Amino acid sequence: MDLKKQTLGSLREMLDTKQISAAELCKEYFDRIKTTDSQVLGYITVTEEEAMKNAAKAQEAIDKGEAKALTGIPLAIKDNICTDGIRTTCASNMLGNFIPPYDACVIEKLKADDYVLLGKASMDEFAMGGSTQTSAFAKTKNPFDLSRVPGGSSGGSAAVVSAAMAPAALGSDTGGSIRQPSSFCGVTGLKPTYGRVSRYGLVAFASSLDQIGPIANSAVDCGIILNTICGKDSRDATSANKPAEDFNAKVGKDIKGMKIALPKEFFAESTDDEVKTAVLAAAKKYEEMGAVLVDCSMKSLKYAVAAYYLVASAEAASNLSRFDGIKYGLRGEGRTFDEMIRDSRSRGFGDEVKRRILLGNYALSSGYYDAYYLKALALKQQIIKEYNEIFENADIILTPTAPTVAYKIGEQETDPVKMYLADICTVTVNIASLPAISVPCGYNADGMPIGMSLVGRKWDEATLIQTADAFEKSFDRRYSEV
Amino acid sequence: MKLYPTIGLEIHAELLTNSKVFCTCSAEFGGEPNSRCCPVCSGLPGTLPVLNAKAVEYIIKAGYIMNCEISRFTKWDRKNYFYPDLPKAYQISQMPRPVCLGGHVDVTVDGEQKTMRINRIHLEEDARKLVHDDIERVSLADYNRCGIPLIEIVTEPDFHSAAEVVAFFEKIRMMLQYAGVCDGKLEQGSMRCDVNISLAEKGSDKLGTRTEVKNLNSTKAIQRAIEYEIYRQTELIENGERVVQETLHFNDATGETSSLRSKEDAHDYRYFPDPDIPPIIFTEEELAAIKADIPEMPEQRVARYTGEYGISAADAKVLTDSKSISDFFEEAIKVYDNPKPIATFIVVELMRRINLGELDLDDMKFTAEDFAKLIELGESGKISKDNRKIILREMIESGKKPADIAEEQQLWIKEDNELLEKTINDIMAANPKAVEQYRSGETKVFGFLMGQCNKILRGAASPASVKAMLEEKLKG
Amino acid sequence: MDIKTIDHLCDLSKLNYTDEGKEKVMGEMSAIIELMDTVKEFDVVYDDTKDNNSISYDEVRKDDAKPSFPAEKLLSNTQPSDNCYVVPKMVD
Repeated sequence: MDLKKQTLGSLREMLDTKQISAAELCKEYFDRIKTTDSQVLGYITVTEEEAMKNAAKAQEAIDKGEAKALTGIPLAIKDNICTDGIRTTCASNMLGNFIPPYDACVIEKLKADDYVLLGKASMDEFAMGGSTQTSAFAKTKNPFDLSRVPGGSSGGSAAVVSAAMAPAALGSDTGGSIRQPSSFCGVTGLKPTYGRVSRYGLVAFASSLDQIGPIANSAVDCGIILNTICGKDSRDATSANKPAEDFNAKVGKDIKGMKIALPKEFFAESTDDEVKTAVLAAAKKYEEMGAVLVDCSMKSLKYAVAAYYLVASAEAASNLSRFDGIKYGLRGEGRTFDEMIRDSRSRGFGDEVKRRILLGNYALSSGYYDAYYLKALALKQQIIKEYNEIFENADIILTPTAPTVAYKIGEQETDPVKMYLADICTVTVNIASLPAISVPCGYNADGMPIGMSLVGRKWDEATLIQTADAFEKSFDRRYSEV
Repeated sequence: MKLYPTIGLEIHAELLTNSKVFCTCSAEFGGEPNSRCCPVCSGLPGTLPVLNAKAVEYIIKAGYIMNCEISRFTKWDRKNYFYPDLPKAYQISQMPRPVCLGGHVDVTVDGEQKTMRINRIHLEEDARKLVHDDIERVSLADYNRCGIPLIEIVTEPDFHSAAEVVAFFEKIRMMLQYAGVCDGKLEQGSMRCDVNISLAEKGSDKLGTRTEVKNLNSTKAIQRAIEYEIYRQTELIENGERVVQETLHFNDATGETSSLRSKEDAHDYRYFPDPDIPPIIFTEEELAAIKADIPEMPEQRVARYTGEYGISAADAKVLTDSKSISDFFEEAIKVYDNPKPIATFIVVELMRRINLGELDLDDMKFTAEDFAKLIELGESGKISKDNRKIILREMIESGKKPADIAEEQQLWIKEDNELLEKTINDIMAANPKAVEQYRSGETKVFGFLMGQCNKILRGAASPASVKAMLEEKLKG
Repeated sequence: MDIKTIDHLCDLSKLNYTDEGKEKVMGEMSAIIELMDTVKEFDVVYDDTKDNNSISYDEVRKDDAKPSFPAEKLLSNTQPSDNCYVVPKMVD
């Protein structure tokens, strides 16, 4: 079976028509993982035993004719999503042996539909990064070119999908961490509206920005997964009470007359020409389909990276304070409480995590709070205002997902400021709590994938998927050759 | 140099909710270590706080009874610091937008009424651990009490003596008990008080350097700590030394305060709005409904007791000064609708036994219903009023029912009408002059004649029967 | 960014660095703060009542206590003593 060409729909059909059993399907993927992951390093933990148990349960449901969309479907789960009884490390030495005693809400929902867990995907440590090279356990490579980064922080999730080591995966997105690696690895990734999916069980990075979302081979596949994992959860007060809907309901509907806005600041000098070219070509494609392109501006984009890093780091510094080795995690040494926790944290956290904690505490500390943290919150309000103004004249916004294609490993991850600035195309979406999807729209001269992002109004994932799908249908997508 | 103390308070009170303030664990006191915990209150990764509506309702009630303004928009903030009793290394509290602002409570100290102003009341999670000290180098942490809802009442520095502080603390305790929001069980840590105290020359408009004594959990400790701190600061100032601004701990055994010598003093809490907890906007209707649901407060009960039941103001005060006593009274009058004698017997007899330490209202062998029955027996003449004391003593000791005790100890008044009539006739015959006086209008000799009859009868007839028959016979 | 500030931040963050590490991170933090300083050019004040993320009182969780987690499960990622977390003493 050519795993690369499979979609969730094709797998569902094969399972339901008994062309393949859940166990056999599972095995296909594990065989692929065995031959491929030593090169790609997408997985931190591969869960063969658990998967076979899942598959047996799924087969029962399939045999009874009670299969749901994801029954028997193997998925990779980013390693910052808690899985009961299965090691969840956040790619950090701090949690190297942490075994959560509970499932995240999204995992409960997937289990209820009898999905199959292939393994926990690698990521940047505690989701802080854009290259997955800060992972303490598996520094994932880009399947299109193993000397390049897969992006981050959900680099493992994107890479395993790209390398056909999973038909789909869950990632998390705080400042672009689903979309950017999807763009770098040539797959499709969706960040839902903030509050669409419960964060209960997602190890928190930045509480006001984090969302769990799907990475898959198509927009429709993302919709299938979102249909299953979304919903109000009494254990997450920020999860929204929205009526049930099918996010694929608008797929295939005509996009004629749809207004697509292109904010000019996203197409400025900070974005590479080859990326601009591919995204603008996609815009032209939409025009040919009958959409109307609208010019617009986001004046505050130039402050967005700073505003994002101030808010995200402040929240992260606070969220990561609980890691002290006393209740769980790496336990340091020391005669006193203070000594011990300092040792736990200094040994458990990597350099980037430490920098963000320092930055966060700086922004919150007495004397700096007003100038940095509150100012960042004011900018957050301004950016939301500017998006609202754009959406008065547009249904959807189109931007590049990242200013560049995947770069060579070692080229820029050691320069924190450069790394931060590379998030310019994605962070405003998280700041404004909007949904966005990254779709492959081209390849550069070296064959590296280029991604475009569609950004929608709050709660309008259905329009995003409709619009993304319209492009995908006529796009000649390439697959990694690993 | 006459030094004058200025004192401000932070009172913490645990709320009587079923579940904790940010998770669904039981808030009940006790339990094996870490048996009332979950991933949320234990600070496991990936968990989120979810606010408890009852805790919000209770702080609003507390705000109303203390005359505060209720904020229509309120939100929660994180207070960040590291300490073993803080699993998340931050405490969820409220900074710029607390539920209650302003307010005041009147207290009476040495007969003088004073108004003490309240600065704010906010809702936060308790960060107390019960640490059972183990081997020398380590402590053992139990998070059962982590996440218990706490209100913090911050006063203005309006206090100038230990007596004022104690009166205020006791009044707040009583008010919170009546409002049903806190059980006031100091021995369980339901309420604690931090005291901020500074000394300055009387009349000076500058305040001295203040120190903070934390975690005082009894009125005795509050009193002793304040007195010691006044003494200590006075000594320093009179010797020309500086008072150091610091946080102190009160040692119950020595009666002295000492420095909490740790880095925890110099905290930068880096408060910021907790992104996991959406702010709340209240409507006027919601607040009005909560206000209307506040149970009767002591003043209202006093008004009812004096107004409707004809109980004296003094007795009404005694009854309502303790919610347990007042509740006991309320239970009793439900069973036997005769408030005055019930109230009197509580104030005179029951309180006496309690004050003597013979009886603990929280640990009684008999019920309010039993007590009511006892009074009823007395009022209906089945037993003599004097014998009520005897029966009560037995009830305290054994918990037996009053009727059973009367039976066992043969305390029933036997209505022997023959003996009664004979006795009255005898007494009237033996005291012709008194009878003459009564018949000519001097009704006060009636008491003398009654007394003579009762001396002979000794409980063989109820006072009511004696009175009735004597009156009749005297009428002639 | 000077060493004093880094030390203070390390105290707030409970992190240790070697002397070399501290020099390195001081340089990195200086560059990062320079980037963060761009927000100072923006002249608007934050209004917390305008965030549109508030809820009404009746949406708040009702006060039903649910069964707690078994202590062994909660403590399964550490070495407890008598079902308690072991904590080093506060001061020497």
